[in-house]
Amino acid sequence: MARRLKFNIFRYNPQDPDSSPHTDTFFLEETESMSLFIALNQIREEQDSSLQFDFCCRAGICGACAIMINGKPGLACHTLTDELPEEITLMPLPIFKLIGDLSVDTGTWFRAMYEKVESWVHTDETFDPNTDEGRMDNALAEEIYELERCIECGCCVAACGTANMREDFVGAVAMNRIARFMMDPRDERTDKEYFEIIGTDEGIFGCMGLLGCEDVCPKHLPLQDQLGILRRKMGWSAVKQLFRFKS
Amino acid sequence: MAVNTTTYVRSPSRTSAYLDWLQMLTGVALILFMWSHMILVASVNLGAGVMDALAHFLEKTYMAQVGGPIIACIFLLHFVLAARKVPFRVDQQTTIWKLSRQLRHTDTYLWLIQVVTAMIILIMGSIHMWTVLTDLPIQAAKSAARIQGGFWLVFYLILLPMVELHVGIGFYRIAVKWGFSRRHDRKKYKRFETYLTAIFITIGLVTLVRFLLLKT
Repeated sequence: MARRLKFNIFRYNPQDPDSSPHTDTFFLEETESMSLFIALNQIREEQDSSLQFDFCCRAGICGACAIMINGKPGLACHTLTDELPEEITLMPLPIFKLIGDLSVDTGTWFRAMYEKVESWVHTDETFDPNTDEGRMDNALAEEIYELERCIECGCCVAACGTANMREDFVGAVAMNRIARFMMDPRDERTDKEYFEIIGTDEGIFGCMGLLGCEDVCPKHLPLQDQLGILRRKMGWSAVKQLFRFKS
Repeated sequence: MAVNTTTYVRSPSRTSAYLDWLQMLTGVALILFMWSHMILVASVNLGAGVMDALAHFLEKTYMAQVGGPIIACIFLLHFVLAARKVPFRVDQQTTIWKLSRQLRHTDTYLWLIQVVTAMIILIMGSIHMWTVLTDLPIQAAKSAARIQGGFWLVFYLILLPMVELHVGIGFYRIAVKWGFSRRHDRKKYKRFETYLTAIFITIGLVTLVRFLLLKT
């Protein structure tokens, strides 16, 4: 027999002065292969048209539908209700600015983070549209692609103890981004330059290694490995600079 | 992450890196010390004479008189360095507590245990070091007399698990943070840490019982 699911959903519209944060309860008959994305749409269509939540691709590619599912960050479209108990509590991601109900603005945060870590290929080469694209070893391209798979959903930031306590901490997503450019032979930044961006307590040395990021990433990016590599690289970079007498 | 609206540029500094190195290195030094410490103390299980001989050797070579205060300094330095990450503000404490309860995530809990045990060890460890180092030489009979007094038995029954938890979790967290443990072997490291903690607590308890039964 199909289960009757109970949804506790956080409701608050910061735009509306009469709105106050509270939880609304909805009930739904569980259907086969029901994802939270399907459930939320059904609730909005049949029970409350004012319910706000984000979605776009429905296939775990766009990263828009990240929410706190029974206390853990995850993608609504990737989470099937049969993996969850009968009572499901949905909250918006912490840290990011609340737009309304389950919808948060990850864009502003990511934009600011990308500007901070200068998330683009730094090169002095002038672009010549008539020459062939530079070649890259396939294995390296795949390694870079592995880190490029990030969908910017914000789950790693939401699950990070450090990011939750300290709003200046850039989070695993930023370290992953820097790690990606470090691998890229087209980026001409030196370790010292990377160090200036990420070798601080707001960057890699602020990371306390709680690994919430690693354990919730819906794309299973190798965040633990990248954080470890980055801490060592940046640590050595500092030691090398200490023993370099000519600057 | 806060959106930066200031116009000044902060001068690059390597301080964070050095402090993080020091935090790790003092941690490693204390882990190694605690293991050696356990060998010295647990040697009483082989006989009071064995422990006395070991202690005598350490005092004859001035390792206890000089090494003791050095360890005390490393201990305090490690606390000051690690305290950079400890939430002392109430809003931070509330946030991390709520997040841990929501996430029910082992590693986040492990870190909380690390923070709580740190505070207890800071006080009890200092008391322990003062008591032992101001009452040299270390002798099995003296230690036994203290334990048999009752107060110190309770004291060490609390301090022992605190230290072993902190050492075990610290070992695992250094491995994870500095990339010695990778995704594929993280479970192995964690299991190792659990066994290590359990074994050391057991040895510690056996040693306490031995002191309790030692004729003074």
